Amino acid sequence: MRGRRNRKSAAAFVLAAILPVVLLVLSLNIGAYRIPPKAVWSTIIDAVVPGGTAEASPYADILFRIRLPRLLLALFAGAALAVSGASLQAIFRNPLVFEFSLGISYGAAFGAAMSLVFLGRKVPPQAAAFVFAIAAVLAVLLIAGKAASQIVTILLSGVIVSALFQALLSLVELFANPYALQSLIFWLMGSLGQATWDDLALTLPVIGVGVTALILLRWRLNVLSLGDDEARALGVDVRREKMLVIGLAALTTASATAVTGVISWIGLIVPHLVRMAVGADNRKVVPLSAAAGASLLLVADDIVRTAASFEIPIGILTSVVGIPLFIVLLKRSGKVWL
Amino acid sequence: MKIRVDRLAFSYEAFTLCVPSLTFADAKVTAVVGPNGAGKSTLLKCLAAVHPPPKGTVFVNGQDLSALPGKSRARLVGYVPQEPAFTFNYAVLGFVLTGRAAFIPALASPGRHDLEAAREALRFVGLDGFEERPFFELSSGERRLVLIARTLAQQSEILLLDEPTTFLDPRHESEIMELVRRLAVEKGKTVVVTLHALDMAVKYADEMVFLKGGAVVAAGPPLQVLDERLLRAVYDIDMGLVDVGGRRLIVR
Amino acid sequence: MEIVDTLGRKVTIPGTVDRVISLEPEVTRIIVALGAGEKLVGIDFFLRRHDHLFPLVFPPASRLPVVSNQGQDLHYEEAVRLRPDVIFASPSEWQAAEAIERKMKVPVAALASMGRFDGLLAEIGTLGRILGREGRAAALTSYIKAHLETAAPPSSGTGSGPRPSVYLSFWGSLVRTPVSYEPVEAAGGRNVASGALPDHLGTAGLTISLEKLLVWDPDVILIQGNYPPGERQVTVEGVLRDPRLASLRAVRTGRVHYTFGFWYWWDPALVLVETLHLARLFHPGSAPGGDLVRTGDVIFKEVYGAEGLFSALCRVLECHAWTTK
Repeated sequence: MRGRRNRKSAAAFVLAAILPVVLLVLSLNIGAYRIPPKAVWSTIIDAVVPGGTAEASPYADILFRIRLPRLLLALFAGAALAVSGASLQAIFRNPLVFEFSLGISYGAAFGAAMSLVFLGRKVPPQAAAFVFAIAAVLAVLLIAGKAASQIVTILLSGVIVSALFQALLSLVELFANPYALQSLIFWLMGSLGQATWDDLALTLPVIGVGVTALILLRWRLNVLSLGDDEARALGVDVRREKMLVIGLAALTTASATAVTGVISWIGLIVPHLVRMAVGADNRKVVPLSAAAGASLLLVADDIVRTAASFEIPIGILTSVVGIPLFIVLLKRSGKVWL
Repeated sequence: MKIRVDRLAFSYEAFTLCVPSLTFADAKVTAVVGPNGAGKSTLLKCLAAVHPPPKGTVFVNGQDLSALPGKSRARLVGYVPQEPAFTFNYAVLGFVLTGRAAFIPALASPGRHDLEAAREALRFVGLDGFEERPFFELSSGERRLVLIARTLAQQSEILLLDEPTTFLDPRHESEIMELVRRLAVEKGKTVVVTLHALDMAVKYADEMVFLKGGAVVAAGPPLQVLDERLLRAVYDIDMGLVDVGGRRLIVR
Repeated sequence: MEIVDTLGRKVTIPGTVDRVISLEPEVTRIIVALGAGEKLVGIDFFLRRHDHLFPLVFPPASRLPVVSNQGQDLHYEEAVRLRPDVIFASPSEWQAAEAIERKMKVPVAALASMGRFDGLLAEIGTLGRILGREGRAAALTSYIKAHLETAAPPSSGTGSGPRPSVYLSFWGSLVRTPVSYEPVEAAGGRNVASGALPDHLGTAGLTISLEKLLVWDPDVILIQGNYPPGERQVTVEGVLRDPRLASLRAVRTGRVHYTFGFWYWWDPALVLVETLHLARLFHPGSAPGGDLVRTGDVIFKEVYGAEGLFSALCRVLECHAWTTK
């Protein structure tokens, strides 16, 4: 009996690992520019196998310069947001926490605003967004002070810092000229299609390292989720390990948000969906959240790319679908955390 | 494992716990009793070194407990809180596994060894078939047993249990205390429990420590230390001691 | 007199109008072009703070009080103090006109071209009647009509070839494009994005995916250039160098250019210059030749009555590079 359960569990994990890859391959075939599936395969093979055809296929540009970076960004950003959400929920012992609660989203938005409105092209919005997202997290930790590992204090600080950056953002918008304001509004709505390989060359490895580290910490999150006193009694250096988790979550989501703009709700909803399916044990929740977040964001972006001749900003799609879904989940499950 | 308390002082708000000197017997069950607010839980928490006491030292086998790194301390002392704070509905085995934290590096996951220790702990407390049961679905008594199993999985020589019998019905009360005794007798653990129920203490403890107002009023084996004058002094009401059918009972 | 504004509202205007507040930059520009600039008692936020052209066109604007904020909301107390005879509002916010009229008890007309030449001509006519400048309005509309005819391609298919397909990158982003932009059509081009949104949504901005741009594969790519050069997020060099766009016809043939584009609808002189500029880009053989900067100055003089206005704008936007080709 135990063997059968383990095998089912192992199967679930294998499926979860494969799903994003399968979706990636399928998504490569989707897009405004019709490329027949055979051509997709031959282009990929030509690129991978050395000594392919000498002439550059017109499809190669689309597949490798336009689609692939966008799809990879969707996978990595989705994983980053979901894993960070799951980790933060564990250490703050509050299922309603996600990267938003640390002030990251508004910090990044303010950074982008500063860049687009005041700094012009000298400082690209991605860099400024990242810097201010991290600054927001540091501000949250600073305000919480010594009690930084206590749940209520840090959530309160998060609310304060978010409110502060939101107000500063409004201030910048007030003084922005219409040219910059347009760019800013567009950035704030969130988009996966703007990133180039140059942007991703730095972002993807950072997210990869962060997500991997958080997945390695998955069992530790079970211990930390017992509460400070109990975890300490079990021999854990609570303050240091919580800071590590917060730091990793901040790093991954700030990197993602800096490039994609604000995409909400993935960090909150995906871990919940996963918990509803497999229970609360973080050994399962964290890696499955990564896979689920990656897959969900990829599918959402596929919808954005193909639903109409114009693109809905993906942040709006995740909110419009995510919020009602979340309400349904809340009502169905009774308790939020099962 | 010998626990020795030296000049311990811990105060918060209006209350001060002050214990100039106290030793806990090795491989025995010691019951800490006293009225509400006497400082029982505080004493236990100081022993667990969850928060280092501002004054005084707790020595375990001659080592200053609060000077030890967390991992080493956890391998010496295990603490079972009265009510676990829980948010997530882990399965029983998963819950018990967290007790292995001191043996598993931060970036690692439990190995076969750890799983064995957890299962063994569950067997000892009699919750064999409960591995996959969700924690929220257990009764209070079962949850207490799971907590004890977790501390057992920690494989520490000293176990500190805070009010393990509170809110349990008489049958479960006895079950828990039987288990506590088995810990000392079969496994050679040094066990310190805080108790409200005096008769439980009298029946199951090898030693008793009476606290009142943050100070130790008396300490020693129950039959020696217990007398009506002590009870009146500690609890401020009249209580009598009666021997009935070979058992010593406390009567009000 | 009674007029019908762009929202279809019937508005009763007093016979003589001496004091005017305009919240719609396009209307303000036309008022100045009609020679009625001295009737302006207040200026809106955008023209005072962010428009590069207007301070050159109408220097007295710097002395007028600012009567609105970023969102084109009227500062009521300031407006009351200025005692306007009529207020011109933006048709983009339809409740705004009603609300202002209710609060100020002053006739409010919502006027704009809505991005169409016939709308512009009608607007000029209406404003001419309201401000008592009918003669000037008639002259201006004739001038605009005549100019559009010279810029337009020959109607029958002799000589100039088919209409080139054109993609406009506006509002600082490569993937945002206006669905309808008449100067393109007037100059003999075809906006690839037209028809992408249902008609009833009017002229709107569209966000596309990069792939869509590759599907359209336009002959010409136009980038909104009336940003100060240092603030341009999308640049011609950037587009030509972007590896993702390398396969585009327009990139390979180097037909990536700046054009002016507008904020808060049109400037009547600049839209004529732009149409001419575009005609030369689309049909280099058959469009009127000559130095565009000089021609631009002539147009601006005709519309606003002052010298060297277009050259001055070119200095700010550094647009001689793109206009002298």
